[in-house]
Amino acid sequence: MDHEAAQLEKQHVHDVYESTAPYFGDLQSKAWPRVRQFLQEQKPGSLIADIGCGTGKYLKVNSQVYALGCDYCGPLVEIARSRGCEVMVCDNLHLPFRDQGLDAIISIGVIHHFSTKQRRIRAIKEMARVLVPGGQLMIYVWAMEQKNRHFEKQDVLIPWNRALCSRLLSDPSQPGRKPCAHPERSHPYHPPCSVCSCSVCFKEQGHSQRSHSMDYEPLMAGTCCTGISKEGEEENGFYNTLGKSFRSWFFSRSLDESTLRKQIERVRPLKNTEGWANSTISIQPSRHSSLDLGHQEPLSTREQSLDEDVFVEASQKQLEWPRAPATRKHLRGDQQGEVRRNGDGNFLEDANTSENCVNEDDAEEGHPSASKILRRISALDSTDSNSEETIPVEEQQSGVLDSRAFMRYYHVFREGELYGLLKEHVAELHVLSSGNDHGNWCVIAEKKDNCD
Amino acid sequence: MKLLTHNLLSSHVRGVGSRGFPLRLQATEVRINPVEFNPDFVARMIPKVEWAALLEAADTVPKGPIEGYEHDEKFLRQMHHVLLEVDVLEGTLQCPESGRLFPISRGIPNMLLSDEETET
Repeated sequence: MDHEAAQLEKQHVHDVYESTAPYFGDLQSKAWPRVRQFLQEQKPGSLIADIGCGTGKYLKVNSQVYALGCDYCGPLVEIARSRGCEVMVCDNLHLPFRDQGLDAIISIGVIHHFSTKQRRIRAIKEMARVLVPGGQLMIYVWAMEQKNRHFEKQDVLIPWNRALCSRLLSDPSQPGRKPCAHPERSHPYHPPCSVCSCSVCFKEQGHSQRSHSMDYEPLMAGTCCTGISKEGEEENGFYNTLGKSFRSWFFSRSLDESTLRKQIERVRPLKNTEGWANSTISIQPSRHSSLDLGHQEPLSTREQSLDEDVFVEASQKQLEWPRAPATRKHLRGDQQGEVRRNGDGNFLEDANTSENCVNEDDAEEGHPSASKILRRISALDSTDSNSEETIPVEEQQSGVLDSRAFMRYYHVFREGELYGLLKEHVAELHVLSSGNDHGNWCVIAEKKDNCD
Repeated sequence: MKLLTHNLLSSHVRGVGSRGFPLRLQATEVRINPVEFNPDFVARMIPKVEWAALLEAADTVPKGPIEGYEHDEKFLRQMHHVLLEVDVLEGTLQCPESGRLFPISRGIPNMLLSDEETET
């Protein structure tokens, strides 16, 4: 069981971050204010570790402490090192530290990449082990409850489209650095590229309130997007339709141990292990189908099935989405414009944030997974296999690979889940505070005395 | 990898427990990185250092913190240099119990274990 969990994490966490690491080299991202605050509150001379540090964005927040970065992903650690950080490659489940050596630890957007409850607990206990009594641990994980989007299940695979990111990075019109999420973790990384295009958002161009920095929840953007949504809802317009079908893309499948075992047994015949992961994914079709695109019946039929191949769905969406081609053109045509706009903030990202706010690993601004899905739809449109029949996973898989979609596994946490996990399974930690920050559940805990 | 980092590192090969500390350091390439001297910072570090491990790793280290070290600038500068300015770029860290070698490349220790080496 643990082996399968590790395999899943290898494919849908480690390999993805490793592959996408090159895109993060030049991109800077800021730290979450609350995390910064935690770090700055540590006593001068403290020994601190960021477990799952990614490119090291938190390592230089406080110059009065000794900060060590640890990550599973070598390429990301190299980037952190090149920025002058003290880092190492290691595994959250087997931290290479002596007991009780560290004064504080942060784990930002990491634990949610572990695919079983047991592994999540182990990761937390490992961090507790290396803390001195009285030492503090801050944990951030993605919340299942998001303001503007809805996860149907807790175990999800979030796609990421690399193609667009590389396009952005090489785009000469791009004004300097585009804020992109930095992957971080012992596992985690963020998908870069928050650009997506939304025709509706383009119309809202004049919206000058976009101050969508990486730090903050795009409140301003939300304003913009809320407006769009409302408009959409009233008119049953495109944006609203777009949003709902994006939601349906957040396929997920429970990965509790027993289910995972069944999935593994089921997919054994598949030679393509990437396909394995995909075939276990279920799609959560929209229940409030305002997808008034003239193909509602098939859609509602599919609602019943949770095991549809996601790429079949993709094709379906294209067929049912009369405006998709126009959107696509619009997308391409506006690539430049978008990129430029992303200098100030992320357009569609903003739009999608309001609709499908997904906080990336280290709790960066909500990355529009929805937008990535849109891009993938665009890419897939070029394939021929658009039919309602089940399409072999392998075929679809090649379509996905062409569109450079990587899928990262997340176990999104319910309210109280992280707190409960610590309370019930990690006796050596005492929870000091917990709350929600930018779509993440966060906890600060302290290592008890006379423990471990 | 700085020597202060080395001072925190332990082998986690299955079964070694606390006998995995300290790791035996073999440096093949070392660089001296000037770091701004912050006496308060160094003074706070001193009590946290596992001295025996530091002595093993570094040649020119006092046998232990001297009395009144907090105000002894010479001592603090020496410790500052050893803990923070010596940077091991290439080398290995060896588990004293199992003999397992962890590589240091481009200043980065790789502490990952293979599947067989970790718990089942």
